[in-house]
Amino acid sequence: MMTTLAQSGFPEAMSSLTLFHYLFISAVMFTLGLIGFVTRRNLIVMFLCTEMMFQASGIALIAFSRFYLEYTGQVFVIFVLTVAAAEAAMALALVVLLFRRHETLDGSVWSLLKG
Amino acid sequence: MVLLLLIVIPLICAGLIVFNPREQAKYIAAGGSLVSVVFGVVALAAFNWSQGGMDQLTFTTPWVPALGLNFDIGADAVSLLLIALTILLGPICVIGSFTAVVENQKTFYAWLLILQSAMVGVFCARDLVLFYICFEFTLIPMYILIAMFGSSNRRKASTKFFLYTFTGSVIALAGFAYVAWQHSVFTGEWSFNMAALGETARALNASQQAWVLLALMAGFAVKVPLFPVHTWLPLAHTEAPTAGSVILAGVLLKLGTYGVYKFALPFAPAAVLDYAPFMAVLAIIGIVYAGLICWVQTDIKKLVAYSSVSHLGFCMLGLFAVNSVGVTGSVLYMISHGFSTGALFLMIGMMYERYHTRSMKEVSGLGSKMPVWSTFMVFFVMASVGLPGLNGFVSEIMCLFGTFQSGPWTGQAGVTPGATFGMLGPVFAAFAGTGMIVAAIYLLYMTGKIVWGPTREPDDHHAHEVLPTDLSAREIGVLLPLAAGCLVFGLYPAPLMKAVEAPVNDTVAYVQSLNTGDTGRVMVWTAAHEDDHGSDHNADHGDTHTDEHAQDEHSEDHSGEGH
Amino acid sequence: MTSISPTLASMADTALHVGSAPAWVLAIPLLPMLAVVLNTFSAIFRVKTKLPAWITIACLAGSFLATAFAFMTLSGQTNVATGWKWFDLSWGAGQGQQFIADFGFYIDNLTLLWMLFVTGLATLIAVYASEYMEHDVGKGYTRFFVAFGLFVFSMTCLVMGDNMLMLYLGWEGVGLCSYLLIGYFYKKPAAVAAAKKAFIVNRIGDLGLAIGVMLTFVHFGTLEYAQLFQSEQLAGYIAAVLEGRAGDVPLMAQLIAVFLMIGAFGKSAQFPLYVWLPDAMEGPTPVSALIHAATMVTAGVYLIARMLPVFLLSEWALPVVAWVGTFTALLAATIGMAQFDIKRIMAYSTVSQLGYMFAGIAMLSSVGGVYHVVTHAFFKALLFLCCGAVMHGFAGQLDLRKLSGLWHMKGWRVVSVGMLVGCLNLAGVPFTAGFFSKDMIIAEAFVTPGYGYSLLGWTLLFTAGLTAYYTFRVFFRVFTGPVQYEPGDEHHGEDDHSHDHAQDDAHGHDGHSHEDHAHGHDHFHPHPPRFAINFVLATLSVLAVLAAGLYFVSPEKHGWVGDMLEESTAHNLYTADHSAAAMFLIDGDAHAAHDTHADAAHGEHAAHGSILGFNPHEVMYYISAIFGLTGIGLAAYLHGPRGMVSGFLGNRVEAGKCRMDAVAKAFDPIPRWAENKWYVDEFYHFLFVRPLWVVSYIFQTIDKLLVDGLVNLFGYLPRLLGRGAQPGQSGVLHGYALSMAGGVGVILFIVVLVTL
Repeated sequence: MMTTLAQSGFPEAMSSLTLFHYLFISAVMFTLGLIGFVTRRNLIVMFLCTEMMFQASGIALIAFSRFYLEYTGQVFVIFVLTVAAAEAAMALALVVLLFRRHETLDGSVWSLLKG
Repeated sequence: MVLLLLIVIPLICAGLIVFNPREQAKYIAAGGSLVSVVFGVVALAAFNWSQGGMDQLTFTTPWVPALGLNFDIGADAVSLLLIALTILLGPICVIGSFTAVVENQKTFYAWLLILQSAMVGVFCARDLVLFYICFEFTLIPMYILIAMFGSSNRRKASTKFFLYTFTGSVIALAGFAYVAWQHSVFTGEWSFNMAALGETARALNASQQAWVLLALMAGFAVKVPLFPVHTWLPLAHTEAPTAGSVILAGVLLKLGTYGVYKFALPFAPAAVLDYAPFMAVLAIIGIVYAGLICWVQTDIKKLVAYSSVSHLGFCMLGLFAVNSVGVTGSVLYMISHGFSTGALFLMIGMMYERYHTRSMKEVSGLGSKMPVWSTFMVFFVMASVGLPGLNGFVSEIMCLFGTFQSGPWTGQAGVTPGATFGMLGPVFAAFAGTGMIVAAIYLLYMTGKIVWGPTREPDDHHAHEVLPTDLSAREIGVLLPLAAGCLVFGLYPAPLMKAVEAPVNDTVAYVQSLNTGDTGRVMVWTAAHEDDHGSDHNADHGDTHTDEHAQDEHSEDHSGEGH
Repeated sequence: MTSISPTLASMADTALHVGSAPAWVLAIPLLPMLAVVLNTFSAIFRVKTKLPAWITIACLAGSFLATAFAFMTLSGQTNVATGWKWFDLSWGAGQGQQFIADFGFYIDNLTLLWMLFVTGLATLIAVYASEYMEHDVGKGYTRFFVAFGLFVFSMTCLVMGDNMLMLYLGWEGVGLCSYLLIGYFYKKPAAVAAAKKAFIVNRIGDLGLAIGVMLTFVHFGTLEYAQLFQSEQLAGYIAAVLEGRAGDVPLMAQLIAVFLMIGAFGKSAQFPLYVWLPDAMEGPTPVSALIHAATMVTAGVYLIARMLPVFLLSEWALPVVAWVGTFTALLAATIGMAQFDIKRIMAYSTVSQLGYMFAGIAMLSSVGGVYHVVTHAFFKALLFLCCGAVMHGFAGQLDLRKLSGLWHMKGWRVVSVGMLVGCLNLAGVPFTAGFFSKDMIIAEAFVTPGYGYSLLGWTLLFTAGLTAYYTFRVFFRVFTGPVQYEPGDEHHGEDDHSHDHAQDDAHGHDGHSHEDHAHGHDHFHPHPPRFAINFVLATLSVLAVLAAGLYFVSPEKHGWVGDMLEESTAHNLYTADHSAAAMFLIDGDAHAAHDTHADAAHGEHAAHGSILGFNPHEVMYYISAIFGLTGIGLAAYLHGPRGMVSGFLGNRVEAGKCRMDAVAKAFDPIPRWAENKWYVDEFYHFLFVRPLWVVSYIFQTIDKLLVDGLVNLFGYLPRLLGRGAQPGQSGVLHGYALSMAGGVGVILFIVVLVTL
């Protein structure tokens, strides 16, 4: 029942777009974010990369939500967005503070957690 | 209900302290603890002292019904007396700290009051989980008191105190959980009622009981502290602020002995009978060993701290003698030690406030400088030495009598159930008795240095800004109730003995009803363990023996009477 | 009073009737307590007058009067007055299922006897102390009298307590007061050390006592005298012993006496626990006189007298007591001979005389021992108080080499006469009280069968000679001869004013000013005692002389003391016939005495007892007189002044030189060793104190390294684990991100593998 409902749920005009497309986009975005996070040194860019990964997961959640006609996923996305917004405010403030300390945005400067 | 008030009042006052200006903190705390004292008196008056069983002044409300958890409090004479001790020490600690604590007063007094609530909770809990929560919760306030208000080495001391006692308690929790699980297996439902669990625990076989005893002792022996697991105590005591030391010596150590009395004895009676001689040996080693270590200390606070290890050895010895005299002596010891050692810590705190040192090498001969302080000091030292007529003697001699009595005296007039220690009873008493000599040595050594002799003060000593040279009226007021307590306790302890008679006799009966009268228990210990004498114990329970020793008849008589 | 009925059967079941005493007898213990309370208030209100002394004297006198009244109305009965319940615990209704000890008082002839001289002497000595301690008025004066009152209270508990825990209470209570009073001059390290030593050595004895009490409890199921002495169990044992079946008494019952004995040795300063008593002389002299000579130290004798029925059960206890007592008497006498500090000589003589008492009470008659307690209490208190007066007057001088000719000095006559009376008693010169009491003990030694008692008798006789020598050595050196003196070292002596000169001067000493001391020896004037001290010395001298009269009161019962003991537990059932046997010697009425005991046992004892073929009681008067007079003669020859009564005795012309010096040189190391107390203290220090101290240090090290080390090791293990994982933590952000991504990759890979 679930599958029939879900498949019939997609509008006719977009029927060529399947769940796979959305998940693919999500995966690509996530991977890009990950690669960006690992390779870039600039704290702001790194932060933007994490945001990208967030949104990737959001896309996946919405896609599944639509696919299963379950709204839990969408609710979670709203949570994620809210957290992301709050986090953005916090993180950027932190970045500013860190910049003030060392006059650089290079993330590799900070290695205080070295054991 | 009044017990609930005793738990809640300090909490409310702690809340008030947080939301009021700093200057008022100490007065709120003093007021709150004095109100507690009033309600404590009400509780003592409302109590029926001739009754055993932990079913007076009760208050019960469901907590987690699915697990059979209740917020269930109540008291018997022993716990009520310990509650009374806790509550009495409350205002003494608060008022005694008025000048000693100058920074972070709100934190200090709030946590002190919370600590009091937790301790009262431990003593009146009838639900195992409630007991355990309160038992563990005492650690947090104490940790903060030591870590924030202690002396130079306070971080190490507080961490060690927390981790050490916490580790022990977690093992005890495992023991409790095992018993609770067994209970659910037997009865099909979860319950954490202490009485119900006690029934279950007593039905376990000897080797199961041995494990339960081991687990419980892991928690309580650390707290007492018994000989090899005592090393946190001198450190914590030395570094703690005065009020912390008083509470620590006065009440927190008693959580351990109370735990042994309330859980180890009734939960694992067969195992207690088997292992009592070993526990006694540890206690006696503690008495002599810690006593001798006291002698070579130069820091008087450390000296008194080690003396607690030595003194509590007597308490454990009396408990594990498991006869009426010994256990009564032990219960009285819990209270009496709170008075005399608590007072000694206060005295040392008062000296420390004036001289900022506790070293006998730097300060001595205060007799002429501080005559009032010295008078109190000698008084409390004598109480601690165990001078007859003061509190220490009453409990100490009863612990020794109990130990002696649980020897091979089958059929003698003065002996009823229980040759718990077998042939070793009198030997144990004699060795423990040397602790009295050692106590005289180290305490008089300390007195000789600090009170008597030519006066010596630290080089950079100058008069305290606030405090007079000798004790102020406030300080005398703090000490007087303790001194009066020592004296009354020493001269007229009979009401206390009568008060704890019923519950103590019940507890003794639980254990001794399993005693087969085999006076050579310790000798045959290993053999007995390979046997299945656990089943013997169970069979003994409630049976009548016509062919056994007189001792068994005594015990049977007695268990009949106790209920 | 019933006459002696010495058949064994009737002795075994002498029924003890215990009544209840009228409430007023509680005044005997409570009045001293009242003095303590009132004096505590004096301390709180910082009274700067002699009020504490007057309070104490009044209360103690009241206590004495109450005792005297009790003696008149209650003697011959056994009564119990219960104050309140002290220990009260029961775990059943059966016999021995209670642990009960009342704060109650047991009054029979033995306690009355003891209380009479305790309260009487305490009152007199309080009067003495009111003058003696006056330089401390406003300072330690109140403290002194608080402890003094507390001592008398503790002593009443010890002597009158109606159970063994009360005895223990008093036992340790007097120990505390002794501690406080020895350490009265607490600025002197020597006094502090002596106080500590006294308490600790006593504690060793107390442990023995405690074990004895515990054994009594588990064995007889009670701690109360009334129940104990009425118990059929005890009566059965005694009957067994009297019938010669000592083996029927269980070992544990026999051990009771052995442990109690250890307690008695501690409190009464017997070998090997005697070492605290000589040092205890650091206390003020009234304390030495009351506590360390007359009353507290006799507590051990009291204990044995009180528990004599229990002691009779043991085959070894009493013989051991006799041997130890005799040995102590000899040992202490030899040390006393070589000392130069007169107070110390008196201290050793106390130890020695206590040895006599122990020997006496352990012999067949307890009467001799107890009689010696009474006579000794008077004359030794007198001797100490005289020494104290000397010390007081000469700024703490106690060295007999630096004092001479006090007899001839103005104002010292009362002291000199008092000293002479005391010395005559102590030396056992015929017709003095000390003579009679000592003879009784020594004669008993020859009468008592078995265990080499006659050797003990000869030793005691020899010791009596030594006693006479060292006693009169003091008298001849200090009181006769040319008038010469050196004041003592203020800082050393007990009249230590140095610690607070300003306050001292402010008080102003009427009659004799202490400022003199500060100006050195040139201006030193000894201040003779005034009325209070002289009055007490005179009274005590009279009493010491009169004590001899007690011997002639009711002679058929071996003197007044025998009369008193007969109605108490100290009445030696085993030999009741025998103590009467000694009696006919006094009035020579052998016929009458024979009538009172016509049993076989007497003949048996008499067969054992002979000294050189004579009846010991007959010849002892002469033999001991010979020994005593020889000792005195020797003292006169070696220490006497030139031109004494008979010209040839003595040639001393100055304080520090006499014939003895040459003798001492001839025997060189021995007198020095004796002066150093045979190095017993050093030996104890080496054998016990030092090793214990070392062990303590070892324990502390073990505690720190091993016990705590193990704990720290367990605490360290998790940390060690962390150290192992440490290199993984680079601190670089990208590293963490990569490893996280890698981790996710690995998980995904595994998931894929599994699902495929």
